Amino acid sequence: MAVPETDAPPAGPGDPSVVVSHVDITYRVYGSGVDAQEDEESALRRLLTRGTRGMGVREVPAVRDVSFVAHRGESIGIIGRNGSGKSTLLRSIAGLVPPTAGSIWLGGRAALLGVGAVLLPKLSGRRNVMIGAQAMGLSPREVRDRMEEIVDFADIGRFIDLPMNSYSSGMAARLRFAISTAVVPDILVVDEALATGDAAFRERAQERIEQIRREAGTIFVVSHNSGTITEMCTRALWMDHGRLVADGVPGPVVGLYSRKYGKYRERWDQARIVGSDVGPEDDVPPAGAAGGTSGRR
Amino acid sequence: MLSAEEAAALARRHGLRQVGLRPTLPAYLRDVWGHRHLMWSMAKGEFLSQHQDNYLGILWAVINPILLGVSYYLIFGVLLDLRRDVENFVSFLTIGLFTFTLISAALTSGSKAVLGKVGMMRALSFPRVLLPVVVVLAELVSSLPAFAVLLGIAVVSGEPVTLKWLLFPVSLVIVSVMGLGMSMIAARVVHAWRDTANLVPLLVRLLRYVSGVFFSIPARLAAVDGVPVVVSVALQYQPAAVALDVVRETLMASYPLQWQTWTAASGWALLFLVGGFLLFWRGEGTYGRA
Repeated sequence: MAVPETDAPPAGPGDPSVVVSHVDITYRVYGSGVDAQEDEESALRRLLTRGTRGMGVREVPAVRDVSFVAHRGESIGIIGRNGSGKSTLLRSIAGLVPPTAGSIWLGGRAALLGVGAVLLPKLSGRRNVMIGAQAMGLSPREVRDRMEEIVDFADIGRFIDLPMNSYSSGMAARLRFAISTAVVPDILVVDEALATGDAAFRERAQERIEQIRREAGTIFVVSHNSGTITEMCTRALWMDHGRLVADGVPGPVVGLYSRKYGKYRERWDQARIVGSDVGPEDDVPPAGAAGGTSGRR
Repeated sequence: MLSAEEAAALARRHGLRQVGLRPTLPAYLRDVWGHRHLMWSMAKGEFLSQHQDNYLGILWAVINPILLGVSYYLIFGVLLDLRRDVENFVSFLTIGLFTFTLISAALTSGSKAVLGKVGMMRALSFPRVLLPVVVVLAELVSSLPAFAVLLGIAVVSGEPVTLKWLLFPVSLVIVSVMGLGMSMIAARVVHAWRDTANLVPLLVRLLRYVSGVFFSIPARLAAVDGVPVVVSVALQYQPAAVALDVVRETLMASYPLQWQTWTAASGWALLFLVGGFLLFWRGEGTYGRA
């Protein structure tokens, strides 16, 4: 079921459009030096004895040694629990967060569509369209020409001239979607943005995504809804604790995922205890999956 | 799974471009040039978001330095009697103050330019050097009304309008370029060691006191015995001090144009611009992860 990335011509629908090779992404987190469980006395002692280490910087590995190749025309769903590194990996693929180690190659322009992707909240929707669309490579004239189209698609009416911090979350999400897809990107990265918005908009968004895919783009979708992934995607990646643990056809990957974290997760744990050669810390699912977990810990 | 070399070869074969890397200097410059329209839009946005939250808006960019000027005049001019050193203390003080405000704004907002825009960096991709550039552009535009008022103050306080006033805009360009360089340096340094953000206000205050905003450096140096030459040269030719002088020389009759001031100011401006740009570019590929 897995799609092996061999050097041979890709088995996927088209040429490679994203090559991710041994990518690590480590965040620096500040002000996290003191453990939560520590009592006040020892915290004080620590402050006195170790000086600034008490307020230190902690490095949080968000993505560890992830590798895969994506092809044109593929839509790839990424599943994983909160904090498993999905969003970070996607931001890196969109060229927004540089990887700490490893390399990412892209064929063309990438656009990120994320819930948290705030533009400039104090500015009007119109100015945000201007800035967002220009950052995606349109000239000021092209943006003006397409402004109405973008506003229509977002369907936010006269709110377009009000500051974005006065928008409802659904409106903001719609406008961001309209901006991100104003230029048909070669690689579209959708970070749980489809969950917001009403049914009518979701349908239009789905349509736009399908259109991008038909134009031989590559699409990445993060969703907690396994239904969305099996419906929309041609391939699924499962991220767990920053590692890629499964890569393959959506059905089986989503199946494995829900077997581990879904309703019947105790059975997974029991199964692991029985098959004790798989260590308790090892997250590699038993059924064949190509991923970046081989022995690096 | 592909090894790193195989992945690189595959990417090369299909003409893919590596992201999250520091581009070469020429490529980076081209990229910045290609994003010049975005730069203007962002500067406009920055300017608007700074000034739309209150009723008087941009008027504060004029009111603030004037109020500050009045208090400085009373404290330093009258109380400490620093006006005895200078012929037209009102012009001297307001030019110093308004010009210094631009420099300090460039430093202060430059230091927040990258760390304060993490949200934007995680949404849009563009050469990150736009961030410190944009804040300085916005500060420059905000300070233009204040500089217009400055011309008025100079006339009212008795400065003759002469041909050398034509150099006033040139002097502002020099000061802005200097501020731009400082902003890029501050942005990179604070991004790399964010604790240094705490030192920026201190640095700004220190500069405000040593750069001759409200006193004449040569006159004060002459009043103190036995100042080492090194110290006096350093005080008179440090970047902020020459920045104030270069503006004063264009408007004040008692400050004739001097090639030393202009050479020093242009030299500093160029040094900060090139140095700041290179320093910022060296950090490209790390912004956005912190």
